[in-house]
Amino acid sequence: MKTLKLSLHQSLALVAGLLGILALVAGNPYKGNTATMNVKELGLLVEKETDHISVEELADWLIQGKADSRLIDVRSEKEFAEYHIPSAENIPVGSLFDAELMRNEKLLLYSEGGIHAAQAWFLLKAQQFKHVYILRDGLAEWKDKILFPSISDSASSEETLAFEKRKFVSNYFGGTPMSGTSSVSQTKQLAVPKIQMPSGVPSPTGSPKKKKKEGC
Amino acid sequence: MNAPFFKFDYFGEETSLIVAFIIGIGFGFFLERAGFGSGRKLAAQFYLTDLTVFKVMFTAIVTAMVGLFWLSVLGIVDLSLVYVSNTFLVPQIVGGLILGVGFVIGGYCPGTSCVAASTGKYDGMIYLLGIIAGIFVFGEAFPLLKDFYSSSAMGKVTLPQLFGVSYGLVVFLVILMALGGFVGAEWVEKKFSAKSGEVRK
Repeated sequence: MKTLKLSLHQSLALVAGLLGILALVAGNPYKGNTATMNVKELGLLVEKETDHISVEELADWLIQGKADSRLIDVRSEKEFAEYHIPSAENIPVGSLFDAELMRNEKLLLYSEGGIHAAQAWFLLKAQQFKHVYILRDGLAEWKDKILFPSISDSASSEETLAFEKRKFVSNYFGGTPMSGTSSVSQTKQLAVPKIQMPSGVPSPTGSPKKKKKEGC
Repeated sequence: MNAPFFKFDYFGEETSLIVAFIIGIGFGFFLERAGFGSGRKLAAQFYLTDLTVFKVMFTAIVTAMVGLFWLSVLGIVDLSLVYVSNTFLVPQIVGGLILGVGFVIGGYCPGTSCVAASTGKYDGMIYLLGIIAGIFVFGEAFPLLKDFYSSSAMGKVTLPQLFGVSYGLVVFLVILMALGGFVGAEWVEKKFSAKSGEVRK
């Protein structure tokens, strides 16, 4: 009986052909909308809170122009249009995976209180995004601490000193610092500042992260 | 999720240049070993007597495609991070034709001219000078070419997206095309080297 003997070329062609036929049924190489997560690993990450950024840290970064992450507002478009933190871009949670986010990018998420941001964090982590951070307590905290910081009349001198700094930060972002003796009535609805880029804050259109050169 | 290494920041910009250098040397080495340092061999492609260039390049394409496809199916490569250059259909067709004409006239493509020059071939060196002159002319004329340069932009588009078919089908069809191409190339080589009555090696 004659055995079928293949030359190197023929066997390589056969391998290529087989891989091609198998490719027909191998599915999509781009990971779709399903995700797998290591629950233990994620649980530990949550426990350590290393992915939390405080509003003060964020304010400092923005003032110093040091922000190397994309700031993402996961609230609705309407809320975003009313007010958002300078340099933020709007990607509502539902359209997170339609947006062109890269798995190696540093992403800082915030929502009104922080719940939506935390949920978006899980979605991204489950999709193997490497560097996702949450703004602790969200926009509410940003308004409280950064835009409209307040101080009681009985503040110690140390607290007053700290407040001076916060007043500067508040003014920088167009907020209204309130001291107990301030003329601003506590009952008056505080107007959020108009969305205006303070000078020195990188514009949201230009990527704040240094883009790696690519292509041939 | 492991690769691409650079995009996942496994190493920095400096290391990436060293890696690129090593890959570049490897690329040049294999081009040379395939005989692509010889303008005669490359020109024979266009006389249809020796289709090695076609076969090597198509092999490279198929190897890279099959490798990327299967590695990403197995979850080793994150395909969404692999760089896809933007498509500008008309300018790229024109650019391809210019490169092809230069290939026919000069007997080299940019990569192989570097290989030829580094193995001490004068025609390769002259070809390199021509490339540099071309880069200079293009750079100086860029304001005039700018509108055309960015015309018919289609963004980052891949064949599966463009035709709305599955990725696997495209892989299968390209492999089919390659295998057919190899068989056809062998046939053409035989026919034309017999006709021209000489063996170009």
